[in-house]
Amino acid sequence: MAVTSSKDTAISFGFLSPFLLFFGVFLIFPIFYSFYLSFFGSPTDYSLANLDFVGLKNYFRIATDVQFWWSLGVTALYGILSIPLGITASLALALLLDNKLFGKSFFRSAFFLPNVLDMLVVGVIWTLIYAPRYGALAQVTTWLFSEDNFFNTTGLLGSPMTALLAVVIAMVLKGAGFGMVLFLAALQNIPEAVYEAADIDGATEWQKFKHITVPLLRPIIFFMVITGIIASLNAFTEIYAMTAGGPQVVIAGETVGSTSVAGYYLFKQFDAGNYGYAAAISYMLLIITLGITWLQQWLLNRGSAPEVKK
Amino acid sequence: MTSLTALSPHETHSAKVGRVLYFVLLVAIMISMSYVISGQLFKFAVMALSAYVAPEGATAVAEASKLMSSMTVVHNGLAVVLTIVLTIIVVRKFINTGHVHRMAFLHRMVLYLALIVGVVVVLFPFFWMLCTAFKPSGQELVISKTNPFDIVPSEPTLDNFRRVLKIDAASKAMAAVDAIEQKKNFGTFFLNSLLVATTAAFMVTFFAAMGAYVFSKKQLPYKQQIFMLLLATMMIPGMMFMVPQFFMVCKMGLFGTKWAMFLPHLASVFGIFMLKQFMDTIPDSLIEAAQIDGASEWQVFRVVIVPLAFPIILTLFLLTFLFHWSNFLWQLIVTNFENPLSITLPVGLALFRGQYTSELGLIMSASCFSIVPIAVLFLFAQRYFIAGMTQGAVKE
Repeated sequence: MAVTSSKDTAISFGFLSPFLLFFGVFLIFPIFYSFYLSFFGSPTDYSLANLDFVGLKNYFRIATDVQFWWSLGVTALYGILSIPLGITASLALALLLDNKLFGKSFFRSAFFLPNVLDMLVVGVIWTLIYAPRYGALAQVTTWLFSEDNFFNTTGLLGSPMTALLAVVIAMVLKGAGFGMVLFLAALQNIPEAVYEAADIDGATEWQKFKHITVPLLRPIIFFMVITGIIASLNAFTEIYAMTAGGPQVVIAGETVGSTSVAGYYLFKQFDAGNYGYAAAISYMLLIITLGITWLQQWLLNRGSAPEVKK
Repeated sequence: MTSLTALSPHETHSAKVGRVLYFVLLVAIMISMSYVISGQLFKFAVMALSAYVAPEGATAVAEASKLMSSMTVVHNGLAVVLTIVLTIIVVRKFINTGHVHRMAFLHRMVLYLALIVGVVVVLFPFFWMLCTAFKPSGQELVISKTNPFDIVPSEPTLDNFRRVLKIDAASKAMAAVDAIEQKKNFGTFFLNSLLVATTAAFMVTFFAAMGAYVFSKKQLPYKQQIFMLLLATMMIPGMMFMVPQFFMVCKMGLFGTKWAMFLPHLASVFGIFMLKQFMDTIPDSLIEAAQIDGASEWQVFRVVIVPLAFPIILTLFLLTFLFHWSNFLWQLIVTNFENPLSITLPVGLALFRGQYTSELGLIMSASCFSIVPIAVLFLFAQRYFIAGMTQGAVKE
């Protein structure tokens, strides 16, 4: 192609300008605008015009805000529960489907379907399944055992011990088909000869799985861990739909929501009109995300992580 | 040599019996699963049909129920026939399978049963949603005490759908009094979501296609640096943009309008990335050939690039549509609840759930408006959805 000329540049810029306009205005500018807003308090009259300047007060407030640090802990727990469960479920499905099967594409589509459905609606449906007294789970357990069982009296979402796990189960079942497709593609790329060689060496099924399958699937596992972390930091809709941050527990004299993840806490502050404080929390979350990204890169560069497929 | 000992007559005999017993057990599980699942599906079809043909009014439930009980033979019969046919096929296959291959045959049966259990677990919530949506008000909670696996209602009604669309008698009477309240129905929400998601998907795909063309095929100073900057913003969690974007939309005076619903999300970095990956595979010689034929820059894009990249452009369109269809948090905070013409489906559902906490049938029929269209769309375009959503993982 020709050497870059000013005419070429102008044409390129013309093609790119609609995208760049929205990119600059709604993605780059907000990063700075958010930083600016984090130095202000709540508006006095909901007009957004009268924010008072509070300096670094929002950041000092974060440092001593038990609710915020608690929500970070809940987010971490949400990730710790959902990532391994999600990987296990999708790998199990992929291993089942990695056979010569009649109706393979039907199973693949059926497992994938919940991924495209609206998170809020899925959350609402699961809330009603878990609901004590009238939920599907309560009805079945009442029929199986007695009326006086945990699922019927309290419900999985009603106890602080099980609420987060209940959300995780619903989300894992919704998302398992996604990881399954990834694992399935990777499994089908493993040459049959590798397993045959292991057979000759007398390897058991478990040894083959542990020493051949899992190492070759590591890029996908790595990818699912990363997307799982991002999803935990962004988690909001499922919590809004299923628990609204509750049930409440009292820890060290402070009432905190047992499923109040960081994203939900941010929304609560925003909803209460604490715009400046919400902006400051956003910034804290950004710093944490950058920290995690940096950690991932460091792990990758140490050579312990596998090469990502080109 | 283990294979030699297995051939001794005694071993073979007991192993044979064991396999047959195992087979009988699996067939028993298969028969019960087949009867319950197919029975429920056939019953659902009969139920939906009965609810549909029954006339509206006080006797509707009774009519539909009568119709259903007269058709019980049909759906039960179909389930029995299907189960018998399936059993005959499986038993014949087992008999025709040589003894050496029978264990493999049984393993495959377990595999199928496990997969079907998986499908039931994953899709049960949606089937339950559909069933509950047809239950009359006040009876949503009642599951058959004798058989909790029978979740399809025997007294179906379309009243829930009429009520969420506000076309039932009571709502029609209210319409004259309060026109705005009347417009807060799922027909309006559905059209709003459709309009927002379609407009957004068109604009995003159009902008991303033009942008990706530049990054893939054109000259631009600092092209690589700009591209890296784009990719870097993908690392920032979306929640982070909520507060500043909300302020910007308000300052622009767009709060409560449909524009506010999608304007901040028109620059899709993911879209640029996905389309660029694909456009990189289009040979430059095609573009040069078009240029020699005298095509203008725009014509090259229109006639060469867009048709060749069409499958991936369609994929991006569908994924963007999906994103805006379920973009709950953002649509919630920019919605003006006084204006029913700006309420979209997820926001409408959240609003609705606040009003009718205990009316499961209403909430479930409202949910159908979001779930069913997307499920149908997925049926026809699953190839694009699956390929598009999993693309980022395989190509890094």
